[in-house]
Amino acid sequence: MMSPRWRTRVSRWLVRAAIGVVILVPLFPVYWMVISSLKRPADLLSVPPTWFPHDPTFAAYRTVFQVIPFARSFLNSFLIAGTATLSVLLTSIMAGYVFGKYHFKGRDALFWAIVATMFMPPIVTLVPLYWMVQHTGISNAYVRVLLPWLANAFGVFLMRQFMMDVPDELIDAARVDGASEGRIVFRVVAPLLWPAILTLGVFAFVYYWNNFLWPLTILQSASQYPVVLALAQLLSYNTTVQYQNVVMAGALIGSLPTIVVFLLAQRVFVQGIARSGVKG
Amino acid sequence: MMAASVESLGAPSRPAAPVRTGRWGGHPTHLAQQRRWGALMLSPTLLILGLFTFVPIVLTFWISLHAWNMLTPITKMSWVGLSNYTNLFHDPTFRSSLLVTLVYVVIVVGITVPLSILVGMLLYFPRVRGKGVARTVLFTTYVIPTIAVAMVWGALYAPSYGPLAQMFHAVGLGQPTFLSSPSSALASLAAFNIWQMLGYYTVLVVAGLTQIPGDLYEAARVDGAGFVRQAMSITLPLLRRTTVFVVLIGVINAVQVFDPVYVLTQGGPITSTTVISYDIQRTAFTYGLAGEASAMAFSLLVLLVAVAVVILAFMRSR
Repeated sequence: MMSPRWRTRVSRWLVRAAIGVVILVPLFPVYWMVISSLKRPADLLSVPPTWFPHDPTFAAYRTVFQVIPFARSFLNSFLIAGTATLSVLLTSIMAGYVFGKYHFKGRDALFWAIVATMFMPPIVTLVPLYWMVQHTGISNAYVRVLLPWLANAFGVFLMRQFMMDVPDELIDAARVDGASEGRIVFRVVAPLLWPAILTLGVFAFVYYWNNFLWPLTILQSASQYPVVLALAQLLSYNTTVQYQNVVMAGALIGSLPTIVVFLLAQRVFVQGIARSGVKG
Repeated sequence: MMAASVESLGAPSRPAAPVRTGRWGGHPTHLAQQRRWGALMLSPTLLILGLFTFVPIVLTFWISLHAWNMLTPITKMSWVGLSNYTNLFHDPTFRSSLLVTLVYVVIVVGITVPLSILVGMLLYFPRVRGKGVARTVLFTTYVIPTIAVAMVWGALYAPSYGPLAQMFHAVGLGQPTFLSSPSSALASLAAFNIWQMLGYYTVLVVAGLTQIPGDLYEAARVDGAGFVRQAMSITLPLLRRTTVFVVLIGVINAVQVFDPVYVLTQGGPITSTTVISYDIQRTAFTYGLAGEASAMAFSLLVLLVAVAVVILAFMRSR
């Protein structure tokens, strides 16, 4: 028989071990990505695989920029994801304010109709959306990708939830002082909601950076591709094992922007996402 | 909770309704001005979502009633009524892709939801170090592009020179097939969706756990209830709303799986990973059959609405 003290000690170690597993399992594929990118072709072919590169080299990081227009794709991704994020922030803050603080007929029906579309898989509307954007007469690739990404249902939902917590007295006081509604939203209310705005900003950037299906559908030439499409191209060109270092190097560089943005905003972002779940 | 906060909104900020109190009160020019601002601030969102979300839903249904080759102008579209739907009903490919998607959703949700509750409890209750790091690391997988995740897992699944094959071999499980065999390909795709999404659901579970009052556990401990007993009679019942929400998000997320199928398996081997979104995309953009694809897409939407209604009804009940 174990004494109670021993039991708590054992369970403590079990908990520590479990947390260790929870840390290691997400990290292992990332570890594999890093070491594979540093391996030489001979190393990649070895059976059984080597768990540590014998003779690490950064050559793959140079090669990846030569086999696909990777630098260009970064520029494209930053432009597209950056613009979409800014636009979503702007439209969501304004719409969230109106849905959270105004009263008008049909407000809640309209709001919940928008929220419902959050749950619709994008594939459902892909055919007509493609046809519509093809026929707008707009030839600029960035604009074509961006059109449906200028507003976002989840953004409206998130901002409205946080707007409702802003005290009415504050808004009324600003009105009494003669501030216009636009001034109130951006100068009075928005600064109070910076955690929510940061959360939405990170969410939108990650979402649009990672989005694959829509750019795949609407973009025609490789020079317009965002990073995720360039990566898919890399994968299809280099299916042999010897190129795995190049593929892994590409995957790693392509993931860095979202990982960095997330880690920088981590504390606020995780809390914001958690609150969106609790409130939803 | 939501309805309560809607009701509790203060009267002074009701521009559309006559305002009884407040200094600037019901001054007509103020009200008119505010209404104009409201319309102005709402219009960009309504315009974009209306044009690029609501109109396409209607168009999807409209196109689904026609035969239309996407490579030809839309004026060549011809009315076929519901025959796209009746054809779908007898189409073995569509049936198979529905079934494959269903199996995928069941695997992903069936494993992720219990696992995220377990991990959530692990990262919430015990007072040990490393919980914060674990939460961050766990969530990081969520922000990595699915394409990059698919590339890495493609390497992990490599036959003899891959690390997972090596691990299986080391513990005497023989030579696993992973993505190369129809019997294991779908489960292998599910595995890395679970790996990627677990952190997100765990964060939602932890948020749900913080809503459970601590004195309930206090009382249970006084009554001599152990950890398992507390979990069964306090944590799980009170976490029900969160659980249902996680199931809903999980189903919606798993139903859309497309990227890894497109880059890793192209629906194969045979049709073992031909999920519905891949089937729709291929039908429309490879075969050009926009009418059929739209009928598939609209059927998916109707099915999802039905599933969501059932899940939400489950959340509301009791």
